[in-house]
Amino acid sequence: MKDISKSIPKVDNPEKLSGRARYVSDYEIPGLYYAKTLRSIYPYANFHVNKPSLPEGYYIIDASHLPYKNVVKMIEEDWKVFADQEVNYIGEPILLVIGQDQEVIQNILSQIEVIYEPKQPTFDQGHVVITKSYQKGDPKRAFDDADQIIEERFETGYQEQAYIEPQGMIAYPETDDKITLIGSIQCPYYVKNAVLEALGYDDKNVRVIQPAVGGAFGGKEEFPSMIACQLAVAVHHLHVPIKMIYEREEDMISTTKRHPSYITIQAAIKNNHITAFKTHVSINGGAYIGLSSVVLSRAMLAATSAYTITNLDVTGDVYLTHTVPTGAFRGFGAPQMIFAVDMMIEHLAKRLKIDSLTFRMSHLAKQNDLTSTSGLFRDPIIMPKMVEKAIKMSDYIEKSKRYHHPLSYQGIGMSFFLHGCGFTGSGEAEHIHAKVKLIKDEKDDVYIEVATVDMGQGQLTTLKKIVEHVLDRQDIHVIYEGADTDDVPDSGPTVASRTTMIVGGLLARAALKLKQSWKSHEKMEIIESYVQPEYMKWNEEKLQGDAYPAYSWGVNVVEVEVNPITYEVNLKHIWSVYDIGKVIDVRLALGQADGGIAQGVAFGYLEKMDVREGKVIHKNFTDYIIPTSKDVCPTETIFMDNPYALGPYGAKGLGELTLVGGAPAVALAIEMAIKKPIHKIPATPEMIMELIEHED
Amino acid sequence: MVNHMIPSTLEEALSIIQDGTYMILAGGTDLMVQHRSAAQTPPRFKKNVCYINHIKELNYIVTDETSLHIGALTTLETMVHSNLVPKLLKDVISDIASPGIRNLATLAGNICNASPAGDTLVYLYAVDASVCLQSIHQKRIIPIQEFIIGPRKTIIKPDEIMTEIIIPNRHDEYQKWVKVGPRKADAISKVSLIGLATCQDDTIVDFRMAWGAVYQTVLRKPDIEKQIIGTKTRDLYKIQDHIINAYDPWIQPIDDQRSTKVYRKKVAINLLIDFIASIGKE
Amino acid sequence: MKIKCVLNNQIIEHDTDPSRRLLDVLRDELHLKGTKEGCGEGECGACAILLDGHIAHSCLMPFAHVKDRKITTIEGFSKTPQYHVIEEAMIEEGGSQCGICSPGMILAAQSLLTQNPHPTEDEVREALTGNLCRCTGYNMIIKAIVRAAKRGEGLW
Repeated sequence: MKDISKSIPKVDNPEKLSGRARYVSDYEIPGLYYAKTLRSIYPYANFHVNKPSLPEGYYIIDASHLPYKNVVKMIEEDWKVFADQEVNYIGEPILLVIGQDQEVIQNILSQIEVIYEPKQPTFDQGHVVITKSYQKGDPKRAFDDADQIIEERFETGYQEQAYIEPQGMIAYPETDDKITLIGSIQCPYYVKNAVLEALGYDDKNVRVIQPAVGGAFGGKEEFPSMIACQLAVAVHHLHVPIKMIYEREEDMISTTKRHPSYITIQAAIKNNHITAFKTHVSINGGAYIGLSSVVLSRAMLAATSAYTITNLDVTGDVYLTHTVPTGAFRGFGAPQMIFAVDMMIEHLAKRLKIDSLTFRMSHLAKQNDLTSTSGLFRDPIIMPKMVEKAIKMSDYIEKSKRYHHPLSYQGIGMSFFLHGCGFTGSGEAEHIHAKVKLIKDEKDDVYIEVATVDMGQGQLTTLKKIVEHVLDRQDIHVIYEGADTDDVPDSGPTVASRTTMIVGGLLARAALKLKQSWKSHEKMEIIESYVQPEYMKWNEEKLQGDAYPAYSWGVNVVEVEVNPITYEVNLKHIWSVYDIGKVIDVRLALGQADGGIAQGVAFGYLEKMDVREGKVIHKNFTDYIIPTSKDVCPTETIFMDNPYALGPYGAKGLGELTLVGGAPAVALAIEMAIKKPIHKIPATPEMIMELIEHED
Repeated sequence: MVNHMIPSTLEEALSIIQDGTYMILAGGTDLMVQHRSAAQTPPRFKKNVCYINHIKELNYIVTDETSLHIGALTTLETMVHSNLVPKLLKDVISDIASPGIRNLATLAGNICNASPAGDTLVYLYAVDASVCLQSIHQKRIIPIQEFIIGPRKTIIKPDEIMTEIIIPNRHDEYQKWVKVGPRKADAISKVSLIGLATCQDDTIVDFRMAWGAVYQTVLRKPDIEKQIIGTKTRDLYKIQDHIINAYDPWIQPIDDQRSTKVYRKKVAINLLIDFIASIGKE
Repeated sequence: MKIKCVLNNQIIEHDTDPSRRLLDVLRDELHLKGTKEGCGEGECGACAILLDGHIAHSCLMPFAHVKDRKITTIEGFSKTPQYHVIEEAMIEEGGSQCGICSPGMILAAQSLLTQNPHPTEDEVREALTGNLCRCTGYNMIIKAIVRAAKRGEGLW
């Protein structure tokens, strides 16, 4: 039986490389109409619309057309399908203009008169809507007993997912009472359920199909539900097929992005060891809460990252501002906190005059330690081996010594981190109830029916591989096409690094059942449902217990050189070591590693999105800077096996792990290069100049 | 409703545009973005359009005893691969945009766009380039410093086409091009610099410095350069502060979405100091 | 306006507004969907085509541009032996994840190899600066093109 990690060709390569793959914008439908959105130009205002008379065949759809509820179903139900009398951010959708000629649509848009009564917007942290807290041990005592208390404050900025395929969707009347949607999405059932809620339709009257998706990174997790509801409402009234593809600037100013954060960490030190953290994290939810509550949770749960701190007092809040709502982006709150934690660890070591590697290792979490929320690290933790490997690969210790020289502008930074795999806390058991289905027909072809989506991470290949390996038959075909909610059960969303571990795990169990009960040339159907592992005990209200069934671990080392004349950062090399349990396909995993670290490092030094007075300043690819082929450096990545009993072949989550450690690693490398502490990212040349030239 | 004309010869083009109602479109890489409307709709041109991209006679690179002559329709990428184009200019062009844009964009178009951050302009100002403008009635040659009069403002008349760029042949002992952008490729400059210097008997006999993106147009101050010429290389450090103080009031960058004025100013001065320090070494 | 050009090795005469973007003409009027729109301002390269064999961004080109020129889209290029060498290398190196940048990357590779059949890794990196990728971090794409260049001896 061959090793599953061994790579196989990615199944969708032929159509993607040749341009034959069909993304939503590529679909041609007879009698197609187009939709374009009219958006608010004020951050906070009451409004009403003076609609012009429309030429034949052109329509306006707005809040008045909603047959049931003006709500986009997300975790918190405060997003509206269309703004209704009040707008809360620049770019908020007010209405759609629908017709068959895009030029006429543009003319109509320019003729629509919106009368605004601007109100006083909020841009500061004043409007707090969610607060959470949890504790571990006895933090008060730890602070009372401390030798020293050291506090630092950190700040992280927006990050835009910048998927190369913009958001887009098609909706059409499949029958008189059924609407079908095709969209660039991560979660077919999120979209379906949102449309059901907004329209009040029956379950069988909405269908969602997933085509090829050109990148998502969380940006297409909850946001497409809004587009879906808008188009579904339009189709409900007009009974024509309608396509809406966002322009890049439109996408950048109005769709969700990573929550900016302020994080304060107070450390209690006793005998040169951290005995407590008092941490507060504030995240900017933008105009609506959406899923900010869960982002806050994940950020708070990451408060000790890969370390064990015996006593914790962790608080957090979501505050709203009249700016573009923030949402899911690979890492989902963890990158912000992991940045703060690793900078803090390094800064503490410096202040205490302890070698930082020694200091890190002395706090590293071990098997059977309590997690931040007093759950348990049940599984073996191989971080010490991983750290040793990373140090060897990168020559970290030697380079550190050399680069600390006052005249050196080179630096090398290391980060330790973990990522909880799967939905936070009781999400899988209480909200998702994931199901997968395997169907075998009389020809003995096996069909995989799951609702998770291939958005580039390769799950069309990896999930198929898992089933093929379990079935272990040369003579049959396993077929896995994209998700269609008419056929697939709700396996949950393609988020939270859960696809391989949870959905793949369910498929492995289903395949085993199929194999064991195999009846040749007979139609068979196996459905497998998620069962929460017995050991997981989670209290959502108190944020206590096992937040995740498993954890993946990582070490990143980033080497940089800073130009003392221009303050520009030059990435020289990146080394990474990851524990994701078991690699289902090495080449695909390495691809995820390369892509993730590029995004994570860029979050630390390159990608900057300013929002001033509610206006997104960096709103196209000219101004929002993502790495080009010349901005990345050679990478070397190793995966170390550490099988997780409940994952398919031992696999845990991967998707987000490779992003979350990049920012602190590059920020620490820059710190070493410029000999100045960093508390804020992105660490741009402008910021580096200020740090070097202005003594604080 | 605009007219679209696609002439095949220069004569045809000049005849078409003589009523002054036409916009000239060569590569289109700036104009198509500046006039763009929504996806799937044509750009919104306010004037008639004369597409000159097919005038083969304007696609050339030739040298004579004094200068390099670049036809207006020579693409930037053609210039990068030409043996006749000086290496320094090739370095500048290689830092502009990306191959897919450089295969369309022309040097002439870049000049007519007259962006304060235009990279080729910094080079052209430093070497005293000129441009040839033709209408059906006349042909005139204008030094680049007189051609561009402000951000995105040139003195080209509505019935004129830029037909050629003339770059004097030079040999500079010290040549420096620095582009400071937000990333390593495909970026608009925050600050850029061309430095040229030649020495004879350890004395500076020629010195030229031009910055991009720190002023309304390219910044070049021949009167300050004259003060440096004649200095012995070993005495340069003595006048360094004087040079910085002379240039300082002219370096007037702005805050914008790309960068800050304090950063741009600091880096502009750093680049000056670095260039001066390199003269006379090695 | 009727404009004649060679598209994917076939002479065509197409009647349309000459200012219409080549990208829209290809996708909406000629029904060739392999060329993608990612940004509409020439930054992302998803719209890349070959203009007389050289990479160019079709979102920046008015249709007037293609008069008497040779245009190759991924549909045309994917029928060539050069494509198959690049495709095989991309598969082996893992150079494609979500695939939206892949046609543009492949045409950028072809444009490079036509001019420079034996590029260094840095030259490959340089040739791809106009093609943004958000999934792969570029290194696997670059390795693929270097590999294709080695394999495709004589093809370029």
